[in-house]
Amino acid sequence: MKKAYILIASLIILAPIFAWAADLVGYSEPLENAAEEAGASEHGGAYHGIFPDYTLPGINPYLSAMIAGIIGCLIIMGVATILKKFKHG
Amino acid sequence: MHIPDGYLDWWIGILMYVISGAIIAYSIKKVKGIDTTKIPLIGVVAAGIFAAQMLNWPIPGGTSAHFVGGALAGILLGPYAGMLAMTSVITLQCLVFGDGGISALGANIFNMAIVAVFAGYAVYSLLRKYDIRIASFLAGWVGIWLAAIACGFEIGFSSIFAYKIGITVPVMAVWHGLLGIVEGIITMAVVAYVTSYHTKVEPKEVPA
Repeated sequence: MKKAYILIASLIILAPIFAWAADLVGYSEPLENAAEEAGASEHGGAYHGIFPDYTLPGINPYLSAMIAGIIGCLIIMGVATILKKFKHG
Repeated sequence: MHIPDGYLDWWIGILMYVISGAIIAYSIKKVKGIDTTKIPLIGVVAAGIFAAQMLNWPIPGGTSAHFVGGALAGILLGPYAGMLAMTSVITLQCLVFGDGGISALGANIFNMAIVAVFAGYAVYSLLRKYDIRIASFLAGWVGIWLAAIACGFEIGFSSIFAYKIGITVPVMAVWHGLLGIVEGIITMAVVAYVTSYHTKVEPKEVPA
């Protein structure tokens, strides 16, 4: 279990490096390529999340990717902890 | 592979919500008797997959893709708990980080938490008796490839894509067929690592 936490922490630390590298090659997903080829354009919805695109307002995008990673992992593990308590309860 | 809002026709969005909702309900029923000491493990696997999905692997030529982890979740946790772990990751990405649209959440869960998990688990179960490495590599690859094809059909049946299934399915299948190699390698590495620690990691049905 301890090793798993170390792995998760290292993934979060790596997040900004990968974000930078993906920017270098120009980020596009196959789904976006498919949209382009079929002539579809994203007319985005009304809801963009609390931290849209893993960014926090006013914070360097690479740093905020890291913070977003921490927040996300805490939420998931928090839910698991609550579920466990609940089932014990 | 996260479908944003506005890509799917409304009826597809609702249909995918209904299908995914039914499978989530069935999976919850299946894991009800789970040993509570396993819940933190499910949480850690889900958190690890969430963190791994944040890393975009740059592919020269202007594409990048991230690890999805459906097959890995299925192999490590069993298909039902794995499916629920992936559902929590995709729901979190949608609600908190706006990654994947709310109207497409049912579809995104179907592709990445159902197709990738169950297909990946099935491939691994069938092949692990021959070689765990090959089985886990192919599980990762097949899981993401089929998820991409499912995604191609969902968007291809939608009006905004002008019903060009002949384009959307091949584009998704070809790209993710290539990117699936990365998915397979990561899945293989993690499974090989975990099995080296626990000499007998059988893919478990939870509750086992």
